[in-house]
Amino acid sequence: MATMQAAATAPTGKRSSMARRRQVIGFLFVLPAALFMLVFFIFPLLMTVWMSLHDWPLLGTPEFTGLANYITMVQDRQFWSSVLFTTQYTVLVTIPIFLLAFVLALLVNLPLRGVGIFRTGYFIPVVIGLGTSSLLWVWLLNDRVGIFNTILVNLGLADKPIVWFAQKYTALLAIVISVVWKTVGFTMILLLSGMQAIPDEIYQAAMVDGATYWGRLVHITMPLLRRTFALALVLSVIGSYLAFDQFYIMTRGGPKNETITTVYWIFNNSFVYFKMGYGASLSLVLLVILTLLSAAQLRILRDDTTY
Amino acid sequence: MQRIGQFVLAIALIAALLLSACTAPAAAPAAPAGEAAAPAGDTAAAGGVTMSFWTRDSNQAQVRQLVDAWNESHDNKIEITVIPSGEYMTKVGASAAGGSGPDIIAVDLIYVPQFAAAGQLADITESAKSLSYFDKLSPSHVRLATYEGKIYALPFNAEGSILLWNKGLFKEAGLDPEKGPTSWTEIAADAAKITALGDDKYGFYFAGSCAGCNAFTFAPLIWANGGDVLSEDGATATLTDPSVAAALDFYRQLWADGQMPAGAQVDTGTDFFNAFASGKIGMTGSGAFAISQLKNDYPDIDFGVTFLPGQNDGQSSFAGGDSIGIPSGSKYAKEAFEFIEWLTTEDVQLEQYAKSNSLPIRTDLAENEYFASDPRLTTAAQAMAMGKTPYSLVYNQLFNDANGPWLKMIQTAIFDGNVEQAVQDGQDEFTKIMAEN
Repeated sequence: MATMQAAATAPTGKRSSMARRRQVIGFLFVLPAALFMLVFFIFPLLMTVWMSLHDWPLLGTPEFTGLANYITMVQDRQFWSSVLFTTQYTVLVTIPIFLLAFVLALLVNLPLRGVGIFRTGYFIPVVIGLGTSSLLWVWLLNDRVGIFNTILVNLGLADKPIVWFAQKYTALLAIVISVVWKTVGFTMILLLSGMQAIPDEIYQAAMVDGATYWGRLVHITMPLLRRTFALALVLSVIGSYLAFDQFYIMTRGGPKNETITTVYWIFNNSFVYFKMGYGASLSLVLLVILTLLSAAQLRILRDDTTY
Repeated sequence: MQRIGQFVLAIALIAALLLSACTAPAAAPAAPAGEAAAPAGDTAAAGGVTMSFWTRDSNQAQVRQLVDAWNESHDNKIEITVIPSGEYMTKVGASAAGGSGPDIIAVDLIYVPQFAAAGQLADITESAKSLSYFDKLSPSHVRLATYEGKIYALPFNAEGSILLWNKGLFKEAGLDPEKGPTSWTEIAADAAKITALGDDKYGFYFAGSCAGCNAFTFAPLIWANGGDVLSEDGATATLTDPSVAAALDFYRQLWADGQMPAGAQVDTGTDFFNAFASGKIGMTGSGAFAISQLKNDYPDIDFGVTFLPGQNDGQSSFAGGDSIGIPSGSKYAKEAFEFIEWLTTEDVQLEQYAKSNSLPIRTDLAENEYFASDPRLTTAAQAMAMGKTPYSLVYNQLFNDANGPWLKMIQTAIFDGNVEQAVQDGQDEFTKIMAEN
């Protein structure tokens, strides 16, 4: 911006020196952010690339091995099955989050007295740490002291307490429920802010034209929420692909390694097997996968319309 | 033109940053030098140096008490840094790479071979062997601290696995509450009677999804029966040893007969202690740590402590705990060994360890005046003294990994009921991991 303005209004030497000063000042303003990016993103990223080209034990001397880690990865069945499982988890968790968050956002957007209490209530689990909430759910779902099993048995919905983490799909279901509970409030708030940004005039005009509630929802709210939706989706998908804590705490990857997510596998390689170089190469591949996925989502949900 | 200028400036900045970032680790060793300068100043005043000592957070209270006792009576001071167990290895690894490690370090004994092999620890063979009680030190600790014939660490604290039994439930089930089981056959028979009490009471418990808990409490059943999981030199997997299958089948039968609560299958270790503390479990494998914890926090539970047995007889234990060594980069190797020697002396072992219910790291002190009032502690100390520990450079991958072959073998055998397959897969995967490293 500064350059364009400067070019347009820089016929004399005095003005051009002023423009240069403006540029320097502008540069100084972005400098802190640029430094932050360099130190906390670019440098670690380059370091990760460097590590991924080594056999890098936790103790001892790293040894340059070129692309050996990447070749190992191609044959690493557990890695690819973890990518597949993480994708499965992402789909299973994203759909209920969006459906529920959308309904909740519609509800808490109603002009009712005391609606703020509900907004806060649905948002509270978001503020709890994921580790804490996972431990909480471990106990809620416990077969001897957990409240869920007591309710299920007392209502006659189960003959005996369910050991949720003993089977892959009940374990996955338990985790999906806990994560939906934990994160739905965040998506709800995003969608709510998107809804509130839609000008009232549009709804009023539609009502004058006789549009019903459903008509307004489908033809005004949903299309105008597209950008918010894209943002919420990208955040949710990235968050799900990076899932680790809940699996580490609730299932430990079990039963029989059927719930190992990609980050879990990266963690295992880096900090259990102490193969830091291999962990770095897996992280980079996950980064590439996530970048491609996010780009694809943004492209599909791109909204070129201006209102 | 301006654009190019900006570009050059940006590149220059990036380069400057990268350079400064790259030099950061190199600058780190300067810090200890600074630290060294400070104690040098102290030297004039107090006539001693200050050594940094890293330890993990388990046994924190006892370690602090120990270091306080040292600092009170010595000119050379120790500054302790307690690091959470989960992050310990990463922190130590990073510091080793950056050359900013401590002067003394305590690590889980199972990691010592790996530390020694990576050249992280100073050779202390001569000083260690000159101790008059060298042959009385916990044999398992010393064995794991030995790499290629040289000694790199000495025992720091000790833990031994044992079998707990609930005397109250034994009585209720009509069993002799003063007589703990001495074989798998007796465990199974006693368990059946306790489970028969109903009311959510079960004869036996083990944490079915906790790899480490089962290295600690299940492997000793194999040893007690005369078998082993690795060869003596740690180079070969021996899971096809008939005792492994026999021990797995013993647990499988207990599980199939409903002698354990269903939740045991998914316990990742959170209930490893709590299950017995609920007062509804007849017997469980546990460790010396549980004795004082039960006494302090669950005074209503009357429990006994005995050795983990074999099928018909025999007994064994997993000797655990930490070993203490001197990192190769330590500036005060001589002073550090003085601390190590001090803590292994009889007086310290009794006054600082036994007195606060911690197991002594010397076999000759298993029976001592402080344990005399509670023979259960003596049993645990004796268990530790006879205990074994697998020696491996890939211990973590083999035994501690929640997704590794050890736990997978146990789960397949017990919960799927396929002992033969479990043992074969376990043997193959152990062999594969050991060959890769």
